[in-house]
Amino acid sequence: MTTGVLSPTGRIRSWTRAVFPYVLAILVAFAVAGAFIGSMGFNVLRAYETILFTSFRTPYGFIQTLTKFVPLTLQALAFTVPLTAGKFNIGGEGQLIAGAIGASVVGILLAGLPGVLLLPLVLLGSVIAGALWAAIPGWLLYRFRISEVLTTVLMNFISFSLINYVATEMWPDPAAGHPTTVPIGKGGMLPNIIARPPLHMGFLLTILAVAFVYIYTTRSVGGYELVATGANPRAAHVYGIDVRKLSVLALVLGGALGGLSGGIEVAGVHHRLIEGLQSNYLALGILTGLIAKGNNLAVPFVAFFIAILEVGASALQRTMMIPGEMVIIVEALIVLFVLLSDVVKVGEGA
Amino acid sequence: MGTHLVSMQGIRKTFGDVVALDNVDFHLEKGEIHGLLGGNGAGKTTLMNVLYGLYQPDAGKIYIRGQEVRIRSPRDALAHGIGMVHQHFLQVPPFTVVENIVLGTLPKLRATTHLEEEIGKIRALAERFGLEVDPLARVEDLPVGVRQRVEILKVLYRGVDILILDEPTTNLTPQEVDALFQSLRFMVDQGLSVVFITHKIREVMAVCDRVTVLRDGRNVFTVSLKETDEETLVRGMVGEQLDVATSFLFSGRREEARPRSFGPPRVEVEDFAVMGDDGTLAVDGCTFHVRAGEIFGLAGVAGNGQRELAEGLMGLRAVARGRAHVNGIPVQEGATREILNSGVAYIPEDRLEDGFLPRASVAHNLILGYHTRPPYRKGWFLDWRLVFQTAWDLIREYNIRTRGPHDIAANLSGGNIQRLMLARAFAHPMKVLIAHNPTRGLDIPSMEFVYRKLLEQRAQGVAILLISEDLDELLLLSDRLGAMYEGRILGILEHPPFDKYVIGRMMAGIPAETR
Ligand SMILES: Nc1ncnc2c1ncn2[C@@H]1O[C@H](COP(=O)(O)OP(=O)(O)O)[C@@H](O)[C@H]1O
Ligand SMILES: [Mg+2]
Repeated sequence: MTTGVLSPTGRIRSWTRAVFPYVLAILVAFAVAGAFIGSMGFNVLRAYETILFTSFRTPYGFIQTLTKFVPLTLQALAFTVPLTAGKFNIGGEGQLIAGAIGASVVGILLAGLPGVLLLPLVLLGSVIAGALWAAIPGWLLYRFRISEVLTTVLMNFISFSLINYVATEMWPDPAAGHPTTVPIGKGGMLPNIIARPPLHMGFLLTILAVAFVYIYTTRSVGGYELVATGANPRAAHVYGIDVRKLSVLALVLGGALGGLSGGIEVAGVHHRLIEGLQSNYLALGILTGLIAKGNNLAVPFVAFFIAILEVGASALQRTMMIPGEMVIIVEALIVLFVLLSDVVKVGEGA
Repeated sequence: MGTHLVSMQGIRKTFGDVVALDNVDFHLEKGEIHGLLGGNGAGKTTLMNVLYGLYQPDAGKIYIRGQEVRIRSPRDALAHGIGMVHQHFLQVPPFTVVENIVLGTLPKLRATTHLEEEIGKIRALAERFGLEVDPLARVEDLPVGVRQRVEILKVLYRGVDILILDEPTTNLTPQEVDALFQSLRFMVDQGLSVVFITHKIREVMAVCDRVTVLRDGRNVFTVSLKETDEETLVRGMVGEQLDVATSFLFSGRREEARPRSFGPPRVEVEDFAVMGDDGTLAVDGCTFHVRAGEIFGLAGVAGNGQRELAEGLMGLRAVARGRAHVNGIPVQEGATREILNSGVAYIPEDRLEDGFLPRASVAHNLILGYHTRPPYRKGWFLDWRLVFQTAWDLIREYNIRTRGPHDIAANLSGGNIQRLMLARAFAHPMKVLIAHNPTRGLDIPSMEFVYRKLLEQRAQGVAILLISEDLDELLLLSDRLGAMYEGRILGILEHPPFDKYVIGRMMAGIPAETR
């Protein structure tokens, strides 16, 4: 038995071994969904084509995919970064809303500032608001050892009331028929990096966030401690890591990422606070994180794939009258099969 | 040859990829004490678990009194007159001895059940075999040595005539070991047959009539004790893996011509008390010191506060009373990082729970606890190039079988995890080492390796606190030797040679006479 250098073939083999379950899970999920679509009397091949290729047929479809990619990636990271330390952040939605509120408050109050000042402040406001929103469950965990699973979810519900209050009481836009604030200052809006169809700078910010998370978790001392805590909190504690403080840090980091996703929705997409702007990003983000098996680097790739499916889903509804929920089923099945492939592997004792 | 009492032929047993037993033969004669000797992982327990019906062999035959049998469960084994006492026994602590013994043999056990008859039977059995025990004592109040007698009585009460004991001397004091050996003699004199599992050659020499040596799941040889000697047994156990002639483990302690000289105290402990998990004082007033360049051994039966003492000194538990300094750092809960960074290495007792990161890489594991100081730490970042370089070196030096530093540690096997923990502790410069049962679960070459490393560190002036349940290990290595009982240190022997019976008395709670 050689303990020496890993041979290139060995590296490739282990890589294929990691990717194979994904391919299989996706194929099986599509097959099951195809059976449904077919049994409902639709053209299965055309449905597949619509789901997979809408994103690539027109520039508009592609930009739309990249725009979806932004909140999906950030919400998924808000879930997987705390998971690196073994903490479950189910509060990405509340953190998104808190971040959106933070961005709007700054953007409306300081509306007169020039862009060079206002835009960074708006984004900073969202990051800080999201981090603070997650710091509350963090503190409850640190001080009273209350499970973060519970508290992060509860914080989502509180955020619904808060956004409603801000949009109907503080700066309501009477012209809108829906709880909405007045727009933020022009300087707080994210410029576009592509003009037509428009792609806002949030895409670049997301790539930066991915890079930051990757470098932080794999290179830095703090990231090492997150990984160690997630791997075995008792051993981390025995070797001098303050596991309780680190759990709070992990949640706050997740909250900051969740907050940024809210800030980008305000500064890049709506330019104001709108009730409901969180969409179903939390569920899709967690789904993405689960398919990525908590691997921070895998998140953007999975998020891109999910964004393709999401864009395909709306086209499916538009052009073929097939309910878009079909795609949610596909996504859920992929999660199920990916997780199942893990169970099978553990069962083999590998 | 005639027929054997028990004959196991060509036994094979695998667990996944691990071949635990490969074509093993074993023959037990009536009225003998048959030693089953081998290092950790040799397959001793597995072989006897097959005979006791806990495992089904993949291949091979079992004959009892000349009849081929299939033993599907311990119930079958008992029906054939075979009983086994495992290393970890199952007892109901709040129950009395008699209740524990009859448990499962009477149709119903109620508060009103009359046990007089059973008490009488147990008294008679205890008398016959020299297994002195009060049938009405509660098990939870008994020391380990007596609890083991209860376990043996439990098996004898079921009328077996073949008794299997798996490493029965673990956690016994030398006095209790002597008493156990005497009882075993009584048993075989009265026609019973005993299989005695051990990894200690001295015990085989002391009590066995014949011995079967296993190595890596294979037969090495079976000999009568009259026809063999220690050296043959050693070579049988370790094969070519270890040069026995130069081995420290087997050549034993060589006393230096002149007394060794020590540096200043690096661990100073004064009336130190630490709370246990159950809210009582697990460490209740310990006073001792460890000087640079010495190994201070701490003996004791497991569960007498050793674990809490080690954790207390590492800043992992609240100090209830007294003071301690480790490497000059005042000990208090939460000072762990400061203590580690001052140059303290820690080998915790429970390596898997307290020291291993299964879901991180091998490299992550190798720097745990060393990651906040140079050379690995560079500002906010870790110098991963250096980490990986070091990891490759350690993987080679400590013979850790892995695909590389980036491999997920969960892929390592048990022995490799142990070596990884040792590599982490010994590879980094240190001034103080706190090691708790550092050789538990290791095979013989690895044990030898650890002993050499400990001596190497001692020679470099490291102060070593060696807490161990293996008295032989302590007798071999210690410069000074103390014994712990119920959270206190009952006495410290200041220099070798150590009298193991004196230590044994302290381990049993009898303070050393002041000399
Ligand atoms: N239940 C089990 N599952 C997997 N492997 C086992 C099991 N029991 C024993 N083994 C493996 O079989 C080998 C022999 O173990 P064992 O019989 O316990 O050795 P010994 O008692 O001589 O120390 C070891 O490599 C051990 O890891
Ligand atoms: Mg064993």
